[in-house]
Amino acid sequence: MRQEIKFKLNGEAIPLEVNPNEVLLEVLRDRLGAKSPKCGCDKGDCGTCTVMINGKTVRSCLVLAIEVDGQEVITLEGLMDSGLTPLQKSFINHNSFQCGFCAPGMILSATELLAKNQKPNKHEIQEALSGNLCRCTGYTPIIDAITDLTK
Amino acid sequence: MEDNKYIGKSTVRIDGKVKVSGAAEFIDDLDFGPALLFAAIVESKVAHAVINKIDTSEAERVPGVVKIVTGKDFPFRFGLYMHDRFIFAQDRVRFVGEQIGAVIARDAATALKAARLVKVDYTELPAIFNVEQALAKDANLIHPELRHYKHVPWFFPKSDTNIAHLRKVRKGDVEKGFKDADFIFEDTYTVPRYAHCAIEVHGAVGWYDNSNRLTVWTASQSPYTQRNLFAEALAPLGLSHKDIRVVTPFIGGGFGGKAGVSMEILGAALATAVKGRPVKVLWSRAQEFYNTYQRQGLTARIKVGLKKDGTIIAMDNILNWDAGAYVEYGANVVNAAGLSASGPYNIPNVSIDSVCIYTNLPPGGPYRGFGYSEFLFGLESHLNEVAKKMKIDPVELRRKNAIREGDILNYGGKMNANGLLEAIDKVAKEIEWGKKETSSDPNKAIGKGIALFWKAPAMPPNASSSAFLKFNEDGSINILISGMEIGQGLLTAMAQIAAEVLTVPPEKIRVETPDTDRNPYEWQTVGSHVTWGCGRAVESAAIDAREQIFDLVERALGKDRKTLYLENESVKSKTDINFSLKLRDFIIAGIQKSDGSYRGGPILGRGMFMPEFTSALSDPETSQGGHPNVHYTVGASAVKIEVDRQTGKVKIPKVVLAVDVGKALNPDLINGQITGGLLQGIATVLYEDMRFNEKGKLINANFTDYKIPTSMDVPDEIVPIIIEVPQSDGPLGARGVGEHTMIPCAPMIANAVDDALGIRIKSMPITAEKIALSFKHS
Amino acid sequence: MPIIHKFDYLKPKSLGKALTILAQSKNVAILAGGTDLVDMIKDNVVQPDVVVDIKGLDALNQIKFENDTLFIGAGVTFSDLIESKIIKEKYPVIFEIAKTVASVGIRNRATVVGNICSAVPCLDSGPLLSAYEASVTIAGSKGTRNIPAAEWFIAPRKTALQKGELVTGVSLPYPKVKHAGCWVKLGRYTGEDLAQVNLLILAMIDGTFRISFGAVAPIPVRAKKVEKLLNGQTITPSLVEKAKQLIEEEIKPITDVRATKEYRMHMAKVMFERGLDTAISRLNGSGLKYGTSVI
Repeated sequence: MRQEIKFKLNGEAIPLEVNPNEVLLEVLRDRLGAKSPKCGCDKGDCGTCTVMINGKTVRSCLVLAIEVDGQEVITLEGLMDSGLTPLQKSFINHNSFQCGFCAPGMILSATELLAKNQKPNKHEIQEALSGNLCRCTGYTPIIDAITDLTK
Repeated sequence: MEDNKYIGKSTVRIDGKVKVSGAAEFIDDLDFGPALLFAAIVESKVAHAVINKIDTSEAERVPGVVKIVTGKDFPFRFGLYMHDRFIFAQDRVRFVGEQIGAVIARDAATALKAARLVKVDYTELPAIFNVEQALAKDANLIHPELRHYKHVPWFFPKSDTNIAHLRKVRKGDVEKGFKDADFIFEDTYTVPRYAHCAIEVHGAVGWYDNSNRLTVWTASQSPYTQRNLFAEALAPLGLSHKDIRVVTPFIGGGFGGKAGVSMEILGAALATAVKGRPVKVLWSRAQEFYNTYQRQGLTARIKVGLKKDGTIIAMDNILNWDAGAYVEYGANVVNAAGLSASGPYNIPNVSIDSVCIYTNLPPGGPYRGFGYSEFLFGLESHLNEVAKKMKIDPVELRRKNAIREGDILNYGGKMNANGLLEAIDKVAKEIEWGKKETSSDPNKAIGKGIALFWKAPAMPPNASSSAFLKFNEDGSINILISGMEIGQGLLTAMAQIAAEVLTVPPEKIRVETPDTDRNPYEWQTVGSHVTWGCGRAVESAAIDAREQIFDLVERALGKDRKTLYLENESVKSKTDINFSLKLRDFIIAGIQKSDGSYRGGPILGRGMFMPEFTSALSDPETSQGGHPNVHYTVGASAVKIEVDRQTGKVKIPKVVLAVDVGKALNPDLINGQITGGLLQGIATVLYEDMRFNEKGKLINANFTDYKIPTSMDVPDEIVPIIIEVPQSDGPLGARGVGEHTMIPCAPMIANAVDDALGIRIKSMPITAEKIALSFKHS
Repeated sequence: MPIIHKFDYLKPKSLGKALTILAQSKNVAILAGGTDLVDMIKDNVVQPDVVVDIKGLDALNQIKFENDTLFIGAGVTFSDLIESKIIKEKYPVIFEIAKTVASVGIRNRATVVGNICSAVPCLDSGPLLSAYEASVTIAGSKGTRNIPAAEWFIAPRKTALQKGELVTGVSLPYPKVKHAGCWVKLGRYTGEDLAQVNLLILAMIDGTFRISFGAVAPIPVRAKKVEKLLNGQTITPSLVEKAKQLIEEEIKPITDVRATKEYRMHMAKVMFERGLDTAISRLNGSGLKYGTSVI
């Protein structure tokens, strides 16, 4: 049975009717047009579906849409109200990404880290990103771009 | 060496912003409106069987189901190098997961639900899961019709066997070589199957509209090859190539897995079953594992004969490839590897049998390295064993036998200019070869391993590239190519080439992903060849535009074109210091004469490149006489590992890789290939472990149990070394370098483990468990 | 892929309301973090008629230390454990355990109670409950009951929880004497993995030990024979060797896609030896910082 929920997506208030069995990732992508979170494995193993709920990163493929009633959801699109963030600019300058598919999830995880800890060391960066799989880059240029911001 | 303004610089990627902002669109991001249908695939649950009956009646009754199709609707064979494959299984299935039919519905949930209700009745046949079974005298034939399959002229299938292709190399006289050898060493090495694990799964959307125009959007490395195969596979529908359009948005990693045609044929075929409506086929992660190309398994018997001073004078390799149920692409992997399986060494007498063998496992196909990673594990492991037994330093052995420019290759051609010796020296120095190190942790041992690598692009002799280059009113440029951006940075490299020729900075150049309606032909983005091939085409197109510019200025303004040059987006003259005409002032509008009339008009550059010196024809018994490979890229790599004797766990404090790229168009992008390729290669030897059960079903078709590295698993220090011995026919001297960085990983780790613990492990993967238990029992 | 199975969703605001729903519905699944449940619903392993979200029960979202007991409420996530001051102070080995569970994005949702209710053999919370001799607090229509850890796990994916009941939290009594611990988890690499063997050792200042293995038997194993061998003794290399032998009588590892039983048995001994050494060093004020792996 459809239920009405109200939540914030990237700062915008969204009233929405959802079936309990709708997954947050699908609702974001297919009904609300937020395409940056991706479906890479559908089981929470790859991190491409990462979004933030109340400032904490989650795997949106393992969250039912109905669970975000009253919560604040942020996708990569929502970080860019004032243009690219310093983190994004660093990624561009370091040529950190190749195919770009892991980028949205990776950037959210890195954003969460820097909000908690402005000067993470290499190990802390690696740990924060460990749930975001990347097959192209070998992670090194991603870690370097984040490290650059700590200087 | 001229001063390059844009080449050789680590220019910021022109697709950096679109990806970092999340704006980049991949196949599943495209919107097709409310008419979009979804297809769910009915798959074989058995490895080898005759299909008796497919009962779709219950599925058809599910509300929302639009159409159900099976093999009888598409009885057409297709394939890239050999036509041994079907869109849907016909009379029999040949691997667990093979597509038997599809349910098309208005939404994905309905399609999935209905697909589960399709009942298939089989009579199982004996299944073959390894090469020994396949080669046995009375083995069941997986393709009894093999003799009737069309194939490229350089394949040699053996009718009435499970051998789809046999590539034989006979150079010199191996028998005599072994007779003259002072030492002969022989051993067998095994490499299992691997999965590409691109983070984006395969997908295709097909739309056959009511004007009989077929458009297929695919996550693919090869839009034009896909278009061609769609046309061939659907030939009975009478579609002309011009009426088939393939559009490829950004892809989330390819690594070869998105080359050729695998599941995308379903998008094209199913579109014709629901004319007028777009239909989407999107793979799940599990399907990505078991029903896209896999990297073939290999059992390699390597036999090498040497003189006592360490000169290799004979090599005899038998490579038995577990190539899977269909080998339309994979047979070329076997072919390419066969031609080069002696490695980057100068060996006068070589015999190689590279055997492409059918099995009832998923189809093998192209994977970064194209057979070279697979055979190099055995080869470079074996040479280390040889060095150990002969008490020769492994680096010395390699230096001594390293192939040089002009040396004769296995097929009779000559080796190109290369920096292999420079690579060996630099890598040995960087890893401090010869310096034995001990760990501060008493449980751990430090070991070092080295491996050389080489690879040539494996492609048909007429694989070509083309490019259009068009200026805009403001002097900016659009380049139209069908070389795919698969993450390697091709768009940026092409922009840099055009920038260098036309003096327009890369930020003012746009290169997009292809659409076969608008972008000119490119064979495929594979084989690490597009920097070279597509780069040549872009270079030609830029030069073509430049020549048109000079012609026009001469014609309109009377300037001698021999004195003209480009600088800072303007035409200047060597003999008239005051002459400077901005491109944007005339590049679309033309040059105005004093009477008010104009000369010129839009400047469009056109370029095309096809190597005219290669040929795949050679003696089928010896491979002599052909020129199948355009050139080889070479290099060396070394690793220092710290391995825990009790747990078997391997840490990598340092890894170094040197590769000769001819000319580094963009050093950052090359470093990206090095860090990425190294980790992907390291993963195959240390972590990835594909498991089939006794019925041929892949049981770890997920990231939970097929482990690809996380950010926690990177080596502590990676040292990339770029070597530049120019490729004479490369754009600005460049050679390709996408696959190569993965190729040396497995053997160099195996060699380092041997160095640290004195145990030689001859099968991959070399997991912590394997190391710990081998060490315990040694 | 979309979820095909249809179900109702309720998010009660009080424990009483939650229990009423549980009593009324036959086929209920309780949702906290969802990292297990949503995956199982997607795979059709579990097909509930009603999903009850307990994240609205504020009382269960707490970590409390009262009366020498640590109470971890049903809504407490592994990230909460990592950030908790009281845990860093009093139960630092819980910080060490939580750090090895999956990755940040999973830890931000996954709960300890959800983990123990899943009762998968490789669960990371199993040895935690077992070694700390915790009790599981269960609320039902008939009232509250507490089950000791030793009686909680019955078989893979089977616990002592009855229909209509809800776990409200777990209580870990603070050991009466000074103690230190070491958590060791075997994965296939440094990145996130499900344990092939896991082990929690607590070393007490009175010379006793509590040792619990996970992922090497259907349920967590308290290695009582090994404890008996070591309790009150001077720990010498030969005693440790004896203990390692004795482990063979305590655990029954199997071969599966992740590891062979031979490697698991081998590693259980290696992990025990190193874990014991580290727990003792930490007890004496030296030893590796909590959060550093010994393997």
